[in-house]
Amino acid sequence: MVKKTVTVKNEAGLHARPSSVLVKTASKFESDFYISMYGYKVNGKSILGVMTLAAESGAEMELIFEGKDEQEALTAISELFENKFENN
Amino acid sequence: MVGRIEFEGVPASGGIGIGKVHILEERQNEVSPEKIHEDDIQLNIDKFNRAFGALKKEFVKLKEDAKGEVADIIDAQIESLKDPELYKTILHKIESERYEAEYAIFSTLNEYIHIMENADVEWLNERTIDLIAIRDQLIDVAKNKKQTEDLEPGSVVFATNVSPTSMIELSRNSIAGLVMQKGGLTSHAVILAQSLDIPCAIGVEWKAKRFKNKEEAIVDGDLGIVVVRPSESEQRVYDERKRTHQKKTEKLLQISKKPSETACGKKFRLQANVEFLEELPKIKTHGAEGIGLLRTETILFQKTGFDVNAQLDFYRKVVEASDHSDVTIRLFDAGGDKLLDDMDTESNPFLGWRGIRMLLDETELLGNQLEAIYRLSGEYKDRIKLLVPMVSCVSEIHRLKKRIMDVKDKLTEEGVKFDRNLPIGVMIEVPSVALMADRVAKEVDFFSIGTNDLTQYTLAVDRGNEKISSLYQPYHPAIWKLIKMTLDGAKKSNIPVTVCGEMASKPKAAACLFGLGIENLSMTTRALPLVKSMLCSQKMNDMRIFSDQVMKANSPEEVQILMNKFGE
Repeated sequence: MVKKTVTVKNEAGLHARPSSVLVKTASKFESDFYISMYGYKVNGKSILGVMTLAAESGAEMELIFEGKDEQEALTAISELFENKFENN
Repeated sequence: MVGRIEFEGVPASGGIGIGKVHILEERQNEVSPEKIHEDDIQLNIDKFNRAFGALKKEFVKLKEDAKGEVADIIDAQIESLKDPELYKTILHKIESERYEAEYAIFSTLNEYIHIMENADVEWLNERTIDLIAIRDQLIDVAKNKKQTEDLEPGSVVFATNVSPTSMIELSRNSIAGLVMQKGGLTSHAVILAQSLDIPCAIGVEWKAKRFKNKEEAIVDGDLGIVVVRPSESEQRVYDERKRTHQKKTEKLLQISKKPSETACGKKFRLQANVEFLEELPKIKTHGAEGIGLLRTETILFQKTGFDVNAQLDFYRKVVEASDHSDVTIRLFDAGGDKLLDDMDTESNPFLGWRGIRMLLDETELLGNQLEAIYRLSGEYKDRIKLLVPMVSCVSEIHRLKKRIMDVKDKLTEEGVKFDRNLPIGVMIEVPSVALMADRVAKEVDFFSIGTNDLTQYTLAVDRGNEKISSLYQPYHPAIWKLIKMTLDGAKKSNIPVTVCGEMASKPKAAACLFGLGIENLSMTTRALPLVKSMLCSQKMNDMRIFSDQVMKANSPEEVQILMNKFGE
């Protein structure tokens, strides 16, 4: 299992479009992926779960991956947060 | 047959729609928790999978010609249908709790709808309508019924509210009219109805009365009146009005192809005010020569990201749709009536932190927009102009120019091509810049007069305040005087003036502006044919005399009388 804490950097927060990008990317990996924020934990491959976190800009969340390709998944998803979900 | 029913609502999109009633049903509370037999579990799982698969396919098809924010919404809807948690929960309800597929779908989606409705975040509340649409459509498919399947072309659709995706679907079925119980004048459904010429009335309490599908209905989008079971004579009257309206529209649209010249051969230029991508097809059909005002606030408010690339995408689509003509992009004009939710409320927002005042403080926001516009100017040579809102003093222009220099330096360093002489214009909407027009003109490349704000700032009348609405007089001589001063100031430095406010969209006021010497007018696409036919039918000299008379008027009433008389 690998974990990483990231910050939502894009100004509008994790609204519909970034959420789509996030789950689409996460779904490419086999590993299980969970996001934990303010005590809530949701499946990172579930757009409804991610959207209902209602994460705004500046929110911190913990990304948790478990599975064969957990390291690659972690890198890919962290990059999305880093690039403010722009490159998709 | 039971008697005639009439509703009074708010007119939202003009024209007369006549057709059979089609009620867009809502199934809230209609799906009951039916338990199933063990042997039927597989059957219900299949039904559930089929429903998801079919809807997914539909959305993928819808997405093909969707643009901008609508495309993003559809994309999120497709992802929702692939949602593994949603799938698991529904499956569990069928397999273990032994509920019928319809109820399993209905109750699971309702749980999410409930969370979204009650979230503190506005954008999430706004997505509720999309999830409700998914829920209702899934249940329709599961029940083997399609919401729009029995929708006959030419129906008058009655709905509570219509989601953007349903609106696209409806418009494809060429409906005769749309009646909504809710929905605001600025809702996506209404704006689409307008741009697709579908007569529409909103705020119509149609659910208070009983009537059925297939009954006769009329929607008068000009007055907001809706009639179910009209009398025969009434129907004839509306038929006639509809025909007249159609003939008028057709005739008006013919004018779009004619050259923009007055009866005596003087050229003028009419451009479009544009805000949404869906309005773009009208640029061609209504004969606009480019875009005189591209509002960019939607990018900000829809929160689909205002990063450089997302903005560039939006701008490119707009420029591509306007042939070879130019496009004037106005910087974010936020604040005031378009309050951002993450801004503190001000006690006097119209006199507050808005337009350029806000942009100069919001470094990243302004930097991103300038970068996107300058990048665009390199892709479309000599076609892009930049317009600055809410300027009230020259120092704001100086500060903006410094920021533009920074962006230019950055792009040069990166080796990106851009237009070094991109024309920069200011909105004339604060009286101080109109009064100082001769001096401001030395600093910029063009003026664009926003008559709505100019009126409210000059007359000290809040245009949203109903108690003083009679004092909001765009034809007030003071406004005309400021317009004239702006024009005279511009002439000294030889820079062009455009009027992009509502005044330009009123044919007679447009004739008066043209008479004054303003040769560029920009307006909502709907007004283009009307204004064009007015200007084409008049001689320059008559318009000049008309504007001279207006300039001498002592009161708004006198101006109004002159307007009424002109051309009659």
